[in-house]
Amino acid sequence: MPKPRISWLSVLWLSSVMLLLAITTLSAAPIKVGLVTDVGRVNDRSFNQSAWEGVELAKSNLGLGDRDIKYIETQDAKDYADNLAQFIEAEYQVIVTVGFALGDATVKAAKENPDTLFIGVDQYQGEALPNLAGLIFHEDQSGFLAGVLAAGMTKSGTIAAVLGTDLIPPVVAFNEGYIAGAKSVNPKINVISTYHPGEISQAFVDPEWGAATAKQAMDQGADVIFGAGGLTGNGALQEVASQKGVYCIGVDADQWFTVPAAHPCLISSAMKLITPAVADLIGQAQAGTFKGGNVFGAAGLAPFHDFDSAVPQPLKDMLTAAKAGLDSGIIKTGYGN
Amino acid sequence: MTFWSRTARISVCLALLMMIMAILVEITPLGENPWMRVFFGVSALNFTLRAAIPLVLGALSGILCERSGIINIGIEGMMLAGAFAGFVAKSSTNDWPLYASLLFSVLVALGVGGLMGLLHGLFSIRFRMDQIISGTVIIILAAGLSSYLYDRDAISAGKFTPIPIPLLSEIPVIGPVLFNNAPITYVALVLVFVVHVAIFHTRWGLRTRAVGEHPRAADTEGINVNRQRYVNTMLGGMLAGLAGGFLVLEAVGQFQEGMTAGRGFISLAAMIFGNWTPFGALGAATLFGYTQALQNEFLLAGVTTIPRQFVSMLPYIVTIVAVSGLVGRVRPPAAVGNPYDTEGSK
Amino acid sequence: MAQANSKEPKNIQKRFFLGVLLIPFLALLTALVAGAVVMLAFGDDPILAYQGLFQGAFGSGRAWSVTIRKMIPFILTGLSVAVAFKAGLFNIGASGQFVMGSVCSVAIGIHFEGLPMIIHLPLAILSGMLGGMIWGAIPGLLKVTTGAHEVIVTIMMNYLASLFAGWTVYAGGTQGQTPGPLWDRTARAISETPDVFESAQIPWLFGPPYRVHYGVFLALIAVFIVWWLIYKTTIGFEIRTVGQNPKAARYAGIRVEKTVVLTMGLAGALAGLAGTIETLGLNHKFAPEFGGQVGFDGITVALLGQTHPFGVVIASFLFGALDAGAAKMQFESGVAADIIQVIQALVLAFVAAPLIIKALFRLRSGGDDGHATKLNTSWGGS
Repeated sequence: MPKPRISWLSVLWLSSVMLLLAITTLSAAPIKVGLVTDVGRVNDRSFNQSAWEGVELAKSNLGLGDRDIKYIETQDAKDYADNLAQFIEAEYQVIVTVGFALGDATVKAAKENPDTLFIGVDQYQGEALPNLAGLIFHEDQSGFLAGVLAAGMTKSGTIAAVLGTDLIPPVVAFNEGYIAGAKSVNPKINVISTYHPGEISQAFVDPEWGAATAKQAMDQGADVIFGAGGLTGNGALQEVASQKGVYCIGVDADQWFTVPAAHPCLISSAMKLITPAVADLIGQAQAGTFKGGNVFGAAGLAPFHDFDSAVPQPLKDMLTAAKAGLDSGIIKTGYGN
Repeated sequence: MTFWSRTARISVCLALLMMIMAILVEITPLGENPWMRVFFGVSALNFTLRAAIPLVLGALSGILCERSGIINIGIEGMMLAGAFAGFVAKSSTNDWPLYASLLFSVLVALGVGGLMGLLHGLFSIRFRMDQIISGTVIIILAAGLSSYLYDRDAISAGKFTPIPIPLLSEIPVIGPVLFNNAPITYVALVLVFVVHVAIFHTRWGLRTRAVGEHPRAADTEGINVNRQRYVNTMLGGMLAGLAGGFLVLEAVGQFQEGMTAGRGFISLAAMIFGNWTPFGALGAATLFGYTQALQNEFLLAGVTTIPRQFVSMLPYIVTIVAVSGLVGRVRPPAAVGNPYDTEGSK
Repeated sequence: MAQANSKEPKNIQKRFFLGVLLIPFLALLTALVAGAVVMLAFGDDPILAYQGLFQGAFGSGRAWSVTIRKMIPFILTGLSVAVAFKAGLFNIGASGQFVMGSVCSVAIGIHFEGLPMIIHLPLAILSGMLGGMIWGAIPGLLKVTTGAHEVIVTIMMNYLASLFAGWTVYAGGTQGQTPGPLWDRTARAISETPDVFESAQIPWLFGPPYRVHYGVFLALIAVFIVWWLIYKTTIGFEIRTVGQNPKAARYAGIRVEKTVVLTMGLAGALAGLAGTIETLGLNHKFAPEFGGQVGFDGITVALLGQTHPFGVVIASFLFGALDAGAAKMQFESGVAADIIQVIQALVLAFVAAPLIIKALFRLRSGGDDGHATKLNTSWGGS
């Protein structure tokens, strides 16, 4: 008598597995992805744009329709929770939130909605939630390489950084890495770096301050300038481009493509590759392999493009060595823990 | 008397002192002292001028309007409209020769600024809207429209670059600071003189002031009060538009939503600070630019003993102290803010 | 003129109908139509957009809760600007006072663990109002002692407030800079305060998903107090007299200096209360991105409400609804929220200049055109 019971059980088990499979394939068919920006635009030529491009990349990778991806541009920092609620109410399966400022709201929403998956760009996760992936980057390492490059290229011995606000950790990480990288090449190098003095809502959208400050730094003898801070940094790059004999280094994306006006000076960019990482995570959500906790995206130096011949081979070797050292953990940037 | 208003006198003295110090720093051992370089380095002076230009133009815009009796708190909006228009013009004429395209864009910025001025005039003269409300409407309208219409993929290729003036630009310190600039900067500085002369030494200026002080008396003298006010608000709008054009076509080379970043309001402060005189406004704008430059110099010099926020408070504290200590009570044009009804019209 | 003198009561009725009901309604309608025209001209779908806007503002209980919650800061900063206008003062400083209110209330809210709510919450609120009041009174004081113009000083005070607030929560970078006194030590490199203790939080009115808190009653109480103060008390009379004619006020024995400082202090306290309520009710902490943009909106709200406390409430309702609906509008139609600013500007223009609406709709004007909003201030030659 026990035998049939077991077979009954196994039938039950099998059927429930099939049911589950059916449910997962059904739900996996078209996922809907929503994105909430930091106070900024999805086409800000900066990290909101990179994240949105990641969503669009996922759309074409996964064959989603135009109507399956949507964004809301936040107007006011107080609205993060309300904007997240729009997507939750509409039963979106994946919600991307961009910027560390949305961290709290995202964690809260993830706890309240365990069936929705969240991707938080630039959001470090203190405790791991199964449905929330914090996408973070080693900006300090990227900045370190930029520092090595700058120190290798300068003739005057003075290099500069024009930065968005130090109220935002990734910007500080870029700068600290940059300084450490430059000093690793030449301990006596003069690094003059300055953060935008205004409030957070101004710090990344003030290209004129970026440009004027870059000029100020060049007047003080700086001949390599790292512009890191959204449009403020882009303003600095464009100013440097209008001068002769000075180099500039971009940030976040490969700015050769995002700021063509900087071509005359742009030797490279300290990248954090948000776009492929976001697309990857959405792909995992679709495939059901999504894991919560901290996920590190790729960070590093962009190609030299037209300046490939201007960068001497020994410097290129030094950069390769530094990259290897950073990856293996032999070289420390001194930022963070 | 008007020329040598107290603000103007003080600012001219300060400017001279600055220049002398800067030259000393440049050519004597004084320059070896890092603090001297922070305060009087060429980089600080360049930054000062650059930051002051849009403020001067904005303040001149305010002066033209208010001298004729129309309050203009909408400078910020007119500036933004000019910046946006200049950008649209530049980015759609990228394939023209650079200077043709830039000059065309400047004209468009002027034109759109003038239209915003006309709108302000229509609102406050024809439709008798309170002038402060009209200014506020212009600020919000410009911010909303320019953001809504901004095509973020558009690129404006190229911007005005410095044109050194022969011989003069060779002078140490003064040369690189004053005589190696891009065109709009020169124009703005010349405009300070032009507006000063126009207001205080021409018939037009006499009428403007008459309309702004005693419209009733001006009317009996046969001056068309409202026409004069229309002309002045339009001219004022054009100057604000030029300030916007400066930001896009000369300073940055790209547009950004809300890129005026409060400069219109600081212009307003500079205008009041300078007691509604062009040279006073120039002095106020320069002071403001200098304190901003200083704040950056401190940061670049790596001063970390005081939190950077306190360093950044410098421009604002200096302005408050200067406004309450040096300037004191200022006197706006008497009829500013009052719409004028000609006798017998309805 | 002849029309105005004949049959008084009927005329007043007509005027009320025109000025208070018809014109604002037509103004809103015209502004929406104009907004639609702009959207059509640039390839957006206005019907979809307005549907989303309406749903986002009134389409559900949660939407209503957001609309009402968003009214609160508009009401209070609007009142702040309006009160100053009554005395002929132009308070551009509401945003700085708002920020100071936030910071000062948080400073109490994150300390004194274990205090009962009945003491802790009022203490935090008072602290925030005090912060705003001081920040508002300084420009008033400078104006009467040195003649420094309040427009300049309040603009500068805005910058100072945001820098000061930034410093209090500053994480300090890593180059040995000292972090700010209110910084949350557990927040790693992020510059923000810890959450205020529950005993200092303004409770929610209903549970989730409704997001409106008891602060709305505080705002309404403030409206009535301000209305009573301005129109029913001697102080209010003095404030209005100073606004209308400072010289006459002086002759009448009013201490103009005292009134100016008092008014600016009151305006500051109101804007400070706005920041306080936003902080203790909604954000529960202060971070630099919770800035005082709403202070500038306060100017618009005050003007739209014709500087009357009840008008401010109506204007705030409109602004709250537009703001609340913006996200849903973008979600449903993809139209960027900037169009809302355009609509706001147009509503303000049409309400402030009834002549435009009258011309557009060929309304016979009942009596004078003088229903146009008239402020008491110019640059206050004082």
